[in-house]
Amino acid sequence: MKIKMKVNNKQIELNISPKKRLLDILRDNLGLIGTKEGCGKGECGACTVLLDGKRVNSCLVPAFQLEGSKVITIEGLEKWKSFKSIERAYIENGAVQCGFCISGFVVSTAAFLNECSPPVTMDEIKHAMGGNLCRCTGYTKIMQAIQELANQKGIIQQIQEDWRNEFSTE
Amino acid sequence: MSLAQNEKIKVYNPQNVAELDQIVKASKEKLTFVAGATDLMALENEWQKATNLVNLKKVEELSQKIEIHSDGILIGAAVPMSEIINHPWIIKRFPILVEGLKQVGSVQIQNRATLGGNIANGSPAGDSLPILTVLDADILIGPQKNGRFGKLKMYHLHRGPGKVRLGKKDYIAHIFLPFPREENQFWYFRKVGQRDALAISKVSLAVFGWITNGIIEEIRISPGAVTPMIGRAFMSEAILNGRVLDKNQIENAKFAFNKMVKPITDIRSNKEYRRKICCELLQEALYKQCTENCL
Repeated sequence: MKIKMKVNNKQIELNISPKKRLLDILRDNLGLIGTKEGCGKGECGACTVLLDGKRVNSCLVPAFQLEGSKVITIEGLEKWKSFKSIERAYIENGAVQCGFCISGFVVSTAAFLNECSPPVTMDEIKHAMGGNLCRCTGYTKIMQAIQELANQKGIIQQIQEDWRNEFSTE
Repeated sequence: MSLAQNEKIKVYNPQNVAELDQIVKASKEKLTFVAGATDLMALENEWQKATNLVNLKKVEELSQKIEIHSDGILIGAAVPMSEIINHPWIIKRFPILVEGLKQVGSVQIQNRATLGGNIANGSPAGDSLPILTVLDADILIGPQKNGRFGKLKMYHLHRGPGKVRLGKKDYIAHIFLPFPREENQFWYFRKVGQRDALAISKVSLAVFGWITNGIIEEIRISPGAVTPMIGRAFMSEAILNGRVLDKNQIENAKFAFNKMVKPITDIRSNKEYRRKICCELLQEALYKQCTENCL
């Protein structure tokens, strides 16, 4: 079936099976391989993307529900002004080990920081990140990076601004 | 209404309930109603077999509606759980539902998953089911007959693991939650799983009721994942209703509860553990309501 959608601000038109997963559309049809497949069952969060302003597991979104939707992947997030801050916090805290889970974690981080109301507690961060698994088990440093970000007003404001620019309806 | 055909897969995209009902009534095939797809796509067999897909996401009455009535709140069956969790009226009047839904999967899942899907999937471990049971929710079933949806209670609808009393053409349209009296109200929900996120319940318990001066006016108890059919622990409720809540009553209620549950051993847990823990949960729920001089 024909699907029209916006991916990272580019209008896309595809002729694909209605049951194709958003994850496969991104990786196979569009070559956006920053989004990873971990479990394929919505349990690991490696495939997390933003769909119409919400973070979702792209392995559990079928093509036929995507008509007219707006998707932002890690490649799209990279263009946000706030991305550098997130990247730096992850690097400075040593939060990245093998890296496979990281694009999912970063998308979730952006979504959490957009919604959070500082000061945030470690428990809030843990709950918000519960949908992302790191098999290297580098959780402590990832959580530290996120807490560091959440404590900086300027960064939160920048993320919220980037978010509005991306998803406010024209 | 648009219909797309590809590899023998048919997709229906109704834009409103009238169109949805028309599709359902005209169809001769087995239809698969798709809301958030979080359960459906994770079940490989079911997903592969599904060839006639009805997209509920474009039906606003189902996927966006949260409506405040004078006597309760009407929630579209295809509304994502995160919308329910963040709804000011639901936070105020149904904190037990918010607490339960926050424990479903993860935020990513909550952004897609729906009450309708949780119910239709029919798992006795479905997190929302015991909560909807103690809230005495009405489940409204389409297609409409004479302009009205059918109405069922949770314990009428759920018939066992994966089994729900829904005909081939039936879909879940809305969930109606009647406002419970706020005065002297108490509630309890606890889910026990392998970890806090992304775990299916080993056992869960929802309790809802009213207590005045240490006397239980009314109590509703519904366990999850320890009975094949979601239902109320009527025996334990009868023991507690109208009586002073004390140590003896709690033991009696636990005794009846222990007889009522029928846990099984599976990949997530074993029956002995489930039996012990669900009784402990009931004890915890009740002890929380005890005043010191009751004990």
